[in-house]
Amino acid sequence: MSIWVDIARLSVGMSAAFLVVLLFIWGRNLLTFRSKHALGLVVFGFFLLAQNLFALYYYLVDPTLSVWFATEMPDIAWQVLMGIHVLQAVALAVLLWVTWD
Amino acid sequence: MEGVLWYVLTGTRGGANRIRILRELSERPRNANRLAEELHLDYKTVRHHLDVLVQNGVVEHSGTGYGSVYIPSGQTRQHWDTIERIIAQVTE
Repeated sequence: MSIWVDIARLSVGMSAAFLVVLLFIWGRNLLTFRSKHALGLVVFGFFLLAQNLFALYYYLVDPTLSVWFATEMPDIAWQVLMGIHVLQAVALAVLLWVTWD
Repeated sequence: MEGVLWYVLTGTRGGANRIRILRELSERPRNANRLAEELHLDYKTVRHHLDVLVQNGVVEHSGTGYGSVYIPSGQTRQHWDTIERIIAQVTE
């Protein structure tokens, strides 16, 4: 187990947390504006959140795959996954920053 | 511009209040203090929304400082049909 695993998991967790806040804001806007755009943002956020929760589930909970991810997967593969998850977390942080206004 | 209007007015946390401000400003230009009174909002809240609207080119102001008066920008007036569609979708 290496630091890459922890950073990857942390990034997925942070993405999920950002999306929960975004969904709260977008969901409240959907109640105010019954518009296609408001609905689209909520649906987008919902599916991206589902994707992140799936990833967290298989990394941490799933009895077979979480063990495999933790023990069998080589460092280089974790480094790539970590990169992908970190980029997504940064992207969502920026989106949350402009949405918080 | 249309995308900016949709996001700044319906995608963000303060969108609903920004629409109320824009609706007031479309009737007549006002300063921040006056807007706060009419909309029963905190002066600092109004200031924040006006800054966001100015940064995104949605409103513009004449003069500086306390008495500065705000009006919808030229771009916003060009896309006023979009604003009206957004206003029409507000469920109160």
